[in-house]
Amino acid sequence: MMTDTRRGRLAPVVVLTGMLISCAQTGDTAGDEIALFTKNQTNPYFQSIRLGAADAARQLDASLVHYVPTRPDSIPDQMSQIEDAIIKRPDAVVFIPVDFQAMVPGVEKMNAAGIPVVNLTDRSAGGQFVSFVGCDDHRLGLDSGLYLLERMGGRGNVIILEGVGGSSNSKARVAGFMEAIARFPDVTLLASQPGNFQRLQALQVTENLLQAYPQIDGVMAANDSMAAGAIEALDAANRQALVTSINGTKEAVDAIKAGKLLASTDCNGFVQGCIGTMVAIRHLRGLPVPAEFQFPQPVVDNTNYGDLDRPDEERSCPSWEGLTEGLLTPDD
Amino acid sequence: MKTGLAYRLLGVLLLCAALTLATDAFLTVSNLLNVLRQASLVFLLASGVTLVVLTAGLDLSIGANVGLSACVAAAAIKAGAVELGVAAALACGLTIGLLNGLMVTRLHVPPFIATYGMLWVVHGITYWYMAGQTVYDFPEGFRALGSGYLLGLPVPVYLMGACLALGGVFTRHTTYGHEIYAIGANAEAARLSGIPVRARLNLVYGLSGAMAGLASIVYLARLNSAEADIGEPLMLPAIAAILVGGTSLFGGIGSLSGTLVGAILLTLVLNGMNLLAIGANWQPLVTGVIVVLAVWIDVATRRAPAAAGSPVRAE
Repeated sequence: MMTDTRRGRLAPVVVLTGMLISCAQTGDTAGDEIALFTKNQTNPYFQSIRLGAADAARQLDASLVHYVPTRPDSIPDQMSQIEDAIIKRPDAVVFIPVDFQAMVPGVEKMNAAGIPVVNLTDRSAGGQFVSFVGCDDHRLGLDSGLYLLERMGGRGNVIILEGVGGSSNSKARVAGFMEAIARFPDVTLLASQPGNFQRLQALQVTENLLQAYPQIDGVMAANDSMAAGAIEALDAANRQALVTSINGTKEAVDAIKAGKLLASTDCNGFVQGCIGTMVAIRHLRGLPVPAEFQFPQPVVDNTNYGDLDRPDEERSCPSWEGLTEGLLTPDD
Repeated sequence: MKTGLAYRLLGVLLLCAALTLATDAFLTVSNLLNVLRQASLVFLLASGVTLVVLTAGLDLSIGANVGLSACVAAAAIKAGAVELGVAAALACGLTIGLLNGLMVTRLHVPPFIATYGMLWVVHGITYWYMAGQTVYDFPEGFRALGSGYLLGLPVPVYLMGACLALGGVFTRHTTYGHEIYAIGANAEAARLSGIPVRARLNLVYGLSGAMAGLASIVYLARLNSAEADIGEPLMLPAIAAILVGGTSLFGGIGSLSGTLVGAILLTLVLNGMNLLAIGANWQPLVTGVIVVLAVWIDVATRRAPAAAGSPVRAE
């Protein structure tokens, strides 16, 4: 009831949450151990995923173990953690690859060990998965870009702040931005420069681009941290531009409320963590799960930020039934 | 040494000339101030490490140090007091630096290993402390430290000027400074001539840590937010600035003014590539080439006078 807008994304069906879930978890299957692999300790987005996963595990009476690379996004670290996990044998693994290609051998090792794996957030290039749960980065970029360009009246100059070069989600998001720009002939792309998903680099790149271009009307940032950097640069230079970003973190919502950020297209880490964990547990308990779980990812602006405005610690997972309604329509 | 610095200044001027021809956006007051502000952050961090490198040591923990110091400061500022935040950052930075110094002087761990280990330890503490969260939104007055202007110049540029002046006097005109160079040139000889090597090493590592603490405040003010990995991208550019500035990793040779020129040169390169909208992949590549080129110039010019005589160590 109080959460039924759930950022407008998750269908208004959250009312029954607790009850339905507590029905689902009875029986002697309780106590499943789920291992969750995230990419790093530093990005708040993965913290949201971990909190969502923890809440789902708690609600479903399963235990959750975290594997986070010691060095952020490190391929060898995650590979050795996979080996550790195989020895400890969790009942199921919820897996975000630090690199969608390089981690395929790791996935294959888990497959060979017979551990069911749910692929979360970044789609792996190979290996066998119970299910993929995530958002479509290309569409995130496209929706975010289209929203910005429409609010610019379909004309003007934009810049793009790219994420880490070569990372699959940055590439897909930037391609989405490009596709949006291609639909507006009166929009000029001035520059697409790397901010590496980092605030300081985005800040300095924006400062430099503000020097190069006297008129910048819009900034497309591939994540919220870079948008925050761009906003700092715009403020310091006393220049005005509309800024959009991706991820829907609490910081982005605060910036939206303050009128500094136009919108953040939300990939909803918390609910991703919930669903990934639920899928793994349901699979273990012999309940049906979809092979593909992409939920709507709305553009969040000052009209619909809803409970994104609440700290993740205070949120709780929506019900499985509420989530799947409208997603698993008969033609799925 | 002087000729090395002259080459570098020439390099900066040539680069400026080229950028001026390439784009109208470069040679404007606002862009030059922009470059100076960006360079000042690198310099603040690199200046302390320059002292360490002069003693033939190295401090790899500065990026991690900035991260923890900034996060501690952010929490203190949120708790109510900007002054407390500034003091906390300086204390945190200094503590990490002194621990580095003690590892080097008391446990005889090589500086590279000691500070490399410290990097991991400090990252670990920061990750634990922040738990993936971001602290943001600080008071306007505090943020002026990073993004404000005073008499038309960015505030961090004043900090850079002050550090350069104080550091210049310290290294060139005090016994401490001379002893630091002497230790870098030959630690054993320095010890035999009565220089308190351990105390001086503790001093330079402490100063390096404290400068990281100071830099963390400026970063915090400039970014208006702190997260656990705030310092990670900073360590390599700071070391690059030192090397490009002509300070030898073998100790005893180099200067803070060299580091300043190095910081400006590297900042100019990135600024120019942004202005010219040169693609993402080329930026680290060009930085790497410049580092190697600058050090090669040193090696070549230092070898030249000795070339006629016996082959001596280039350093």
